[in-house]
Amino acid sequence: MNRMAQSLVLTLLGGALLRISALSTTYLNYVKPGFRPLLIAAGLVVFLLGVMGLVQEWRRPFVPDRRPPEHGPWADGRAPDAGAREASEDGRDTARENSPDDGHAGHAGHRHGPRVAWLLCLPVMAIFLITPPALGSFAAGRDETPQPRPTVLDGYGALAGDRVTVMPLGEFIGRAWGDTNRSLTGKPVRLAGFVARSKKRGQWYLTRMQLRCCAADAFPLRVAVVGVAPPPDDTWVEVTGTWVATPYDKLPKGTVAPEMKATGLTRVDQPAEPYE
Amino acid sequence: MSDRSSLDWAAEPDSPVPPPTWGRRAPEAQVLPWVFAALVGFLVLGNVLLAPYLTAPALRTWSTIFVAICVQALPFLVFGVALSAAITAFVPASVWNRLLPAKPYAAVPVAGAAGMVLPGCECASVPVASGLMSRGVAPSAALTFLLASPAINPVVLVATAVAFPGEPLMVVARFAASLVVAVLAGWAWQAFGRREWLRVPPRHVPPGQSRHAAFVSAMRHDLLHAGGFLVVGGLAAATLSVVVPRSWLSAVAGVPWLSVLVLALLAVVLSICSEADAFVAASLTAFSPTAKLAFLVVGPMVDLKLIALQAGTFGRAFALRFVPLTFTLAVAVSALVGWALL
Repeated sequence: MNRMAQSLVLTLLGGALLRISALSTTYLNYVKPGFRPLLIAAGLVVFLLGVMGLVQEWRRPFVPDRRPPEHGPWADGRAPDAGAREASEDGRDTARENSPDDGHAGHAGHRHGPRVAWLLCLPVMAIFLITPPALGSFAAGRDETPQPRPTVLDGYGALAGDRVTVMPLGEFIGRAWGDTNRSLTGKPVRLAGFVARSKKRGQWYLTRMQLRCCAADAFPLRVAVVGVAPPPDDTWVEVTGTWVATPYDKLPKGTVAPEMKATGLTRVDQPAEPYE
Repeated sequence: MSDRSSLDWAAEPDSPVPPPTWGRRAPEAQVLPWVFAALVGFLVLGNVLLAPYLTAPALRTWSTIFVAICVQALPFLVFGVALSAAITAFVPASVWNRLLPAKPYAAVPVAGAAGMVLPGCECASVPVASGLMSRGVAPSAALTFLLASPAINPVVLVATAVAFPGEPLMVVARFAASLVVAVLAGWAWQAFGRREWLRVPPRHVPPGQSRHAAFVSAMRHDLLHAGGFLVVGGLAAATLSVVVPRSWLSAVAGVPWLSVLVLALLAVVLSICSEADAFVAASLTAFSPTAKLAFLVVGPMVDLKLIALQAGTFGRAFALRFVPLTFTLAVAVSALVGWALL
């Protein structure tokens, strides 16, 4: 990997980071909102490193290279968009590079960077070519482990009886499971989430993924909806309804999703922050 | 466009004299704008033409998790690489000799305790440890720092306390077990490790190069190198997390010794950042506290992206020995500490 290829990879990587964090809110599909400043800072650093390298390369006067070319000068510099093909060769290259007797700094001096760096093209290509969306019903359906039962908190306030209360799914589940005052009883609420199929007949899951740090640790929050027909999977909806009181205390820890009897359903756009 | 440029060159690959049309710039610089335009054009066109067709749910879920792991880890990696480059370029080696005890066996616990001051996750600690080694710090002490700092820094401990409300013993157990594992692993490396297993990246400011230039070039190299291996780890972690069904987990939750091992392996596979893993552990309600502790102790020390980073930075011979050592120690110590405290 010659210096130009290194700089190009860095520029692309930094550009992709800035593209998803500074120039749009796509980063919310992958990480928590608080990450934005970190992402922008890291993106700027990587981007500047790349651009500085490109500028240096652009200004560097031509010096005839007398070294015997171990591989043609373009062996590394050929169209870097062939990153995927390079990647498949990389396993072998890095294996060689990693053998302890091979001082990898030997040939990695200043002109030749590590070949494994080609792999950095993969996240860039994924960001631009696949444009990974927020996790949806496929990811939610894979995780069948029971939801953690919230610790009992009596800090929940009373709900208005005459008008619809808008609340996050997490709060609904918390009130349903962990509220000794049973504040949800008979109160109309409105929840937002996406549609996911349930194995049980006659109900479907209103779902929202919860993040702790990044999408790799997302897990689904589910409320089982009865009383209205489900729209297709992954449609974002707002459901109005009331809690169906179930004796959760008799069930083992958090094995079911709380149920909701729906009275109204409207389709909505996916919120900018798709996770809770 | 780039194809044509490379053909131009291929016409006379061995000629020491560039064709006269090339002017005075270096050959790479000649095609630079074209390659750049071709790449950006490819990405923009692909974004418009390809993205609407790449919609298989499994592929999209996989790519979301893969991109999420890379995006989440990159700021920490950049931070760690910058710190490591600063250590090599600006901090004279004598500082470490003054700060750390001269005897490696005494330096190991000091380095472990020093792990408390670097608030980062495990991606940051690998380049920093490599920077420390190249500045003459004993490898065993640097390795102890590498293991300890992602697990016992204040950010991680606070996150653990928040994730386990009303269970302060979990924080104590995590701190104690992680520090003990780090120190034991450092001593074990000091006693049995061999010089040739470990590839210490030789780095020094070359004569004639300014400190600033050395900083930038060390940062570039480390970022490309460690970043590439981070991608390897991200690929593996995303694939396993999509392919292996989580329902396998609940099947083994009841068996005490098996559950410890299974959660330890899960920590390796998931490769969650150490600042977030406490929340994931807390959500695994079916498992015993000891199993959760194993998850918290193993995760910051051994996981797929970390194995890839370590193999890339210190060599495969190192990772082949160090990873099993740390994993065994981490499982054993967390089982003991969990039995004693939780």
